[in-house]
Amino acid sequence: MSDVLATEKGTPGTPRTARSAPVRRLPGPRAWVWAALAVLLLALPFYLDRFWLQAGLFAMAAAIGAIGINLLTGATGQLSMGHAFFLAVGAYGYCVLAGDGGGSGGDGLVGLGLPTWLAAVLAVLLAGAAGGLFSPIAGRLRGAYLGIATLALIFIGQHVLFNAQDLTGGFNGRDVPPLNLFGLTFDDSELVVAAVPFGSAEKLWYLGLALLLGGALFARGVLRGRPGRAMNAIRDHRIAAGVMGVPVARYRAAVFVLSSMYAGLAGVLLALVFQRTVPDYFGITLSLEYLAMIVIGGLGSVSGAVAGALFVSLLPQLLTRYSDALPLVSAPGTGGIAPGEASRYLYGAAVVAVVLFLPGGLVRVAARLRSKLRHIPGDPVEER
Amino acid sequence: MRTTSAARAAAGALAALLVLSACSSKAEDGGGEGGKESTGGVRTGDGVSGDTIKLGVLTDMTGVYATLGKSVTQAQQLYVKQLNAEGGVCGYKIELTVRDHGYDPQKAVAAYTELEPDVLGFPQFLGSPFVAAVRQRIEGQDKGLVLPQAWAHSLLGSEYIRVLGSTYDVETINAIDFLMQEKGIKKGDKIGHVYFEGDYGESAVEGSRHMAEEAGLTVVEQKIKPTDNDMTAQVAALKKAGVKAIVISAGPRQAASLVGVAAAGGFDVPIIGNNSAFSPQLLATQAGPALMKNYYVASPSLPIGADTEEAKKLVADYKAAYPEDSLDNGVVAGWTAAAVFTEALEEACAKKDLTRDGVGKALLSLNSFDNGFGVANDFSDPKAPSSKESVILQPDKAVTGGMKVVREPEASEAAQAYTPGA
Repeated sequence: MSDVLATEKGTPGTPRTARSAPVRRLPGPRAWVWAALAVLLLALPFYLDRFWLQAGLFAMAAAIGAIGINLLTGATGQLSMGHAFFLAVGAYGYCVLAGDGGGSGGDGLVGLGLPTWLAAVLAVLLAGAAGGLFSPIAGRLRGAYLGIATLALIFIGQHVLFNAQDLTGGFNGRDVPPLNLFGLTFDDSELVVAAVPFGSAEKLWYLGLALLLGGALFARGVLRGRPGRAMNAIRDHRIAAGVMGVPVARYRAAVFVLSSMYAGLAGVLLALVFQRTVPDYFGITLSLEYLAMIVIGGLGSVSGAVAGALFVSLLPQLLTRYSDALPLVSAPGTGGIAPGEASRYLYGAAVVAVVLFLPGGLVRVAARLRSKLRHIPGDPVEER
Repeated sequence: MRTTSAARAAAGALAALLVLSACSSKAEDGGGEGGKESTGGVRTGDGVSGDTIKLGVLTDMTGVYATLGKSVTQAQQLYVKQLNAEGGVCGYKIELTVRDHGYDPQKAVAAYTELEPDVLGFPQFLGSPFVAAVRQRIEGQDKGLVLPQAWAHSLLGSEYIRVLGSTYDVETINAIDFLMQEKGIKKGDKIGHVYFEGDYGESAVEGSRHMAEEAGLTVVEQKIKPTDNDMTAQVAALKKAGVKAIVISAGPRQAASLVGVAAAGGFDVPIIGNNSAFSPQLLATQAGPALMKNYYVASPSLPIGADTEEAKKLVADYKAAYPEDSLDNGVVAGWTAAAVFTEALEEACAKKDLTRDGVGKALLSLNSFDNGFGVANDFSDPKAPSSKESVILQPDKAVTGGMKVVREPEASEAAQAYTPGA
């Protein structure tokens, strides 16, 4: 490696570490893998049914939300049970801001009628603001204490969602206005691209990819930079971090706000995919699912959050879809395990298996495989 | 330096993408929409292929409505089995595809999306929030007939989503009418209403509010959550308010608790519930005697233990097919929904149009459907429930299904004059 470096335009004297990129070669295997993945992801809407695209979109939204909670819980060690609340703020916030109010054909619910793209941005900021309001508490509490405090948010949120009829539509929820971006409307009006009809799922797929990529890169930037080190320091030893000059309370509050904004963004995307927001969805189970995602995927890293989100949100959908074909399943009414139950058992077993046999989460597997395949000394292990 | 390799990879990727997207199977082959014609000159569309008609069932067998979902689904499977044995509909066999969403919105929407392209319609879709969630799609593009197993008045008004029987608000009006006619409740009295947060309870409470206005009653509302099982606080509050009767729109457990606690405290008022607020298993509990004394249930059709030929045959067949499962009114609801759907298919077949649109139109022409459970259903007006009649039942250990009829199917004057959602 060093001879390659020497031929480079040269930083005379102090040779750079071997970690800097190898130069003037064919694209490395990693680049090709990424490229292939990108092709695959971009081409999928041309092939897959709406069911699969929708499943993928649920997973993307979950991934964005999981990145948010991983910043908070994984990287900073702050337990939050209230993630579903901020998702709801994003989802309902978007509906309220973009809804056309009591106008013609409206559902009589409060709506400000803002341009939908602006509503989406504001909904994310609103979720951040909601997190900010909670930050005096988030900055002071830690661990299980914060977990309990955020649990309250869920109950308050559910109560408001069910009872603030004019704002949320109550138990039946409210319609989500389709997003309109640069003249392109993300609804079911068909747009034919290369002879393939594009409905809402196909269009939203690309939006979801873009949002997820942006969100992932930003979070990676945060984690790899100064704030990330401060966050990890707070997680690992709060007092030491304080002694080193990290403003602990301020950091905790800030991370809480950032994580809420990620949740808000996930909420907006979910609302667009669902086309209707219903309060049942934003319950305690959803919060627990997000915690499961980051534990299964790997605490503290972006890739872990994404991997966990894919696992947790896709597996139940797949198991339900293929429930008829699962082993040991009997037809309903014959006394055996019903398909729906079987898929739940399998899901539970998979979660336990991952936690038990893959401490460190799914990303550890990837990291181990990689280091086995390429014995490159000093190759940085997957980012934390 | 790194950028060149990245750029190369990106360029390669882009080229591959262009090549790939050129040969998609999803590409439209031009004009596939119009529907095809089968041998008998019957037009068919989505969900009909070869000699089978596929129908979707979206149910809940693992979530909060598991008992109901199981009964409804098994009844429908039994119906379809018998129907196919007799030769099916219009020469087609019926095939049900069941998906259990466990009362989870994400799974429900996913299951609808999965089944929708392959089925003609849905003889069962449990959970009104989820029906509402896909309503835009049903009305906008899919246009398949959906028979929800949910009786919230907010579902009315769609040509493709048709509620079977009376909605909860109408049922509650009939229930209060029964209290006034037979149980001595009169103008100026207070009645209590304990109801679930959510579609069911809030639809029911619309009915009691309407009735209160019409008949000069005062309603004392007690909203509860499905997780609240102990009704002691509610009973105390209602007793303090001095109510003369109580309406409960909750689950069987809450009803048993309410009736039991009231009886134990010597609070001797008539209590009436909606049809979901009772299950025959309750009679074996401690609350059993109190339930048989003071409790009534309003139901959109005769109970499973009704004294009609069809009901007796259903009981016998269902017991033979599912010996271990209890007989409740979910069986009737599922059976009726399957029968209505089949009737619509027959009608559509007679009109030579078995497309989704044809089935929807065929249902509109059914105006006096009765399959032996005492209530005539009229589907000609999408804005109204298919019937405004309710039967008043009383728990009774001695009868199959645990309930006997105390008032025959009847739509009260107030219910007839009432327009849901107005």
